[in-house]
Amino acid sequence: MYFGQLLVLGLLAGAVLSLVAVGFTLVLGVAKVANFAHGAFVAVGMYIGYEAYVTWRLSPYLTLIPALGFFVLAGLATAEIFERRARKIGEVGELLVGLALLLLINGLLEALYTDNPRTLSGVSIGIVFVVGIGIPWTQLVAAISTFAIAGALYFTLRNSRWGRALRATAQDPMVAGLYGIRVPVARRAALVLSIVVAGLAGILIAPFTVLTPEAGTTFLTSAFAVVVIGGVGSTAGAVTAGLVIGVIDSLTGGYLSSYWTTLAPLLIILAYLMIRPKQVAF
Amino acid sequence: MTKLWRTQRLTQLRGFLGLFAVLACGWLIISVANPWTVSLLILALYYSIGGLSFNFLFGSLGMFSLAQPVFIAVGGYTSVYLYNTYGVSPWISLLIAPVLAVLVALPIALVATRIGGGAVITALVTLIVAEAATPILIAITPLGSAVGLFSNSPAHITFSAMQFASGADFARIFLMLNVLIIGFWMWWKRSRFGMFATAIKDAPEAAESAGIATARLRLGVFLISAAIAAPAGVVYAQYFLLTSPDLFLGSLALFQILVVALVGGATRPWGTLAAAILITYVTQEASNLSNSNPGATQLTFAAIFLVMALVAPRGLTGTWDLIKQRRSPVQSGGLLSIRIPASASSRMSDGVVDAGEVQIQSDTVQPKQVPADETRTEVRSLSQTTSSYIAPIVIQDQQEDCK
Repeated sequence: MYFGQLLVLGLLAGAVLSLVAVGFTLVLGVAKVANFAHGAFVAVGMYIGYEAYVTWRLSPYLTLIPALGFFVLAGLATAEIFERRARKIGEVGELLVGLALLLLINGLLEALYTDNPRTLSGVSIGIVFVVGIGIPWTQLVAAISTFAIAGALYFTLRNSRWGRALRATAQDPMVAGLYGIRVPVARRAALVLSIVVAGLAGILIAPFTVLTPEAGTTFLTSAFAVVVIGGVGSTAGAVTAGLVIGVIDSLTGGYLSSYWTTLAPLLIILAYLMIRPKQVAF
Repeated sequence: MTKLWRTQRLTQLRGFLGLFAVLACGWLIISVANPWTVSLLILALYYSIGGLSFNFLFGSLGMFSLAQPVFIAVGGYTSVYLYNTYGVSPWISLLIAPVLAVLVALPIALVATRIGGGAVITALVTLIVAEAATPILIAITPLGSAVGLFSNSPAHITFSAMQFASGADFARIFLMLNVLIIGFWMWWKRSRFGMFATAIKDAPEAAESAGIATARLRLGVFLISAAIAAPAGVVYAQYFLLTSPDLFLGSLALFQILVVALVGGATRPWGTLAAAILITYVTQEASNLSNSNPGATQLTFAAIFLVMALVAPRGLTGTWDLIKQRRSPVQSGGLLSIRIPASASSRMSDGVVDAGEVQIQSDTVQPKQVPADETRTEVRSLSQTTSSYIAPIVIQDQQEDCK
């Protein structure tokens, strides 16, 4: 019974990881840019949910639509910086811009909310019983949204003209350009898409997560871990790997000690990279 | 060739003399400065060692390692643990710590060198290591878990326990470490291994086929950079009489080292030291201005990174090299290098470039002085413009058919 409980909780936590990683894998695959601020946008989403609930007494879910617009704009701006400036300087430029954005967002969140952990106690939309375990609807909504968003992305990438353009850019930017695909636009689209997904994921997980400004870095590393195991550019891989890591987290935390939840995935990823070092080449 | 060799030796000698001057001046400044300035100097010199260890790796191989604070922490824990448990003097720990740091670095280095990707991937992998270090330290109870270890050093001044009357002596130790590392790097740059490393960084395949043991050298450089970092931790832990995950591995400590290293630039060793002093002063001022608001330091770092991305992506020394290169376009003798101005290279990809814009210049001091961003031709703009090439040609063909 305890095992079943841990399994379900692990799957739910893994779903969130997958959602964050889906965007990251897309950016690595298509834009060939490691956006260090990716996790930071999750943190922004979380604090948007917090602000809505604490200041305006609104359900965090109501902010999803206005936040969508906000993250599209933020994504466009970020993409513009990456395309206009970072790419010209090369890898160091990408790192500079990515780290600057990460520090900017962390710093702003810390200046506004201090680094005390916060929670949205009180956002509750009921509990549902699965295999005899009470699960808050908030977690279930996040998990269901993950599969909806990941599924939509998967089918768009597979079947639509835009999706094919993105995949072609990921495979070979130069040839894609020769076939008339506007490569810079495709790269921008991937960045915007990933930031929007990351931000919305932040809002979705805000009701049941401990909010700290540093969450941005944590989400970045876990998203990268998921991407490495799932394969760069693969949506389905990211979802599967996210769920696996979530379950491992939950099982190690449940049977061993609580610090294993942070440690286990990191050790797995290092061991994995030892065995298959070429997995991350993008 | 002998002329080239002699010139190089001369430059190197000049460098070592300059280094000695820095040591002497630093020693005097530390002697006359007030305690508050000394405490700032200690911070600056400590971060400078972290930055030097980062830049040694980044400059030699282009590997971007965020794991350097971990190796500094190894030093800190070594000294306090060994003193508390076995009474080993921190001076001896100065020698033991690099060895332990190399042992810790070995698995990380194996992963980091084998993934083969560029700076970005190495950065992500080593960031994972840096993130993992804190929970690992917390998990080890003999090392004091989250609180860390307090040193049982005697309260009175004892040289063997690295306890001094004032901070000035700590500043002097840090200064000497800095000078030693910079001196080592200066020697390394002109040594066989340094040349090998440059070859590997610029053209890995060519280096491999020229018989350089690429994998072994990359591993070696990574391990050396870890060994360089460890002594800083030993002295820093003795200065605070404490070693804790937060002291060495807090997120700000990580970024402080990174900012110092990147602002300094990886082409010359002295840049890191200059940057460390500059950055420590700037962050202190920013923190004062904002009434020590917690986000202020991070926002300062963000601003520094953004300004760098816009103005000087290669830091102080990179910009220095660029200015020097622009000032002296032609020197006699030596090796050839082709310089293409950035403006010309972007136009070249569009198919229009004047032959006059490509300068061939010779340089005696350094065979390679062309910053990467200047010669990069952009594939992207090539593919963008290709359609416009094809269109007129097709029209022309049709016109000829009509005739």
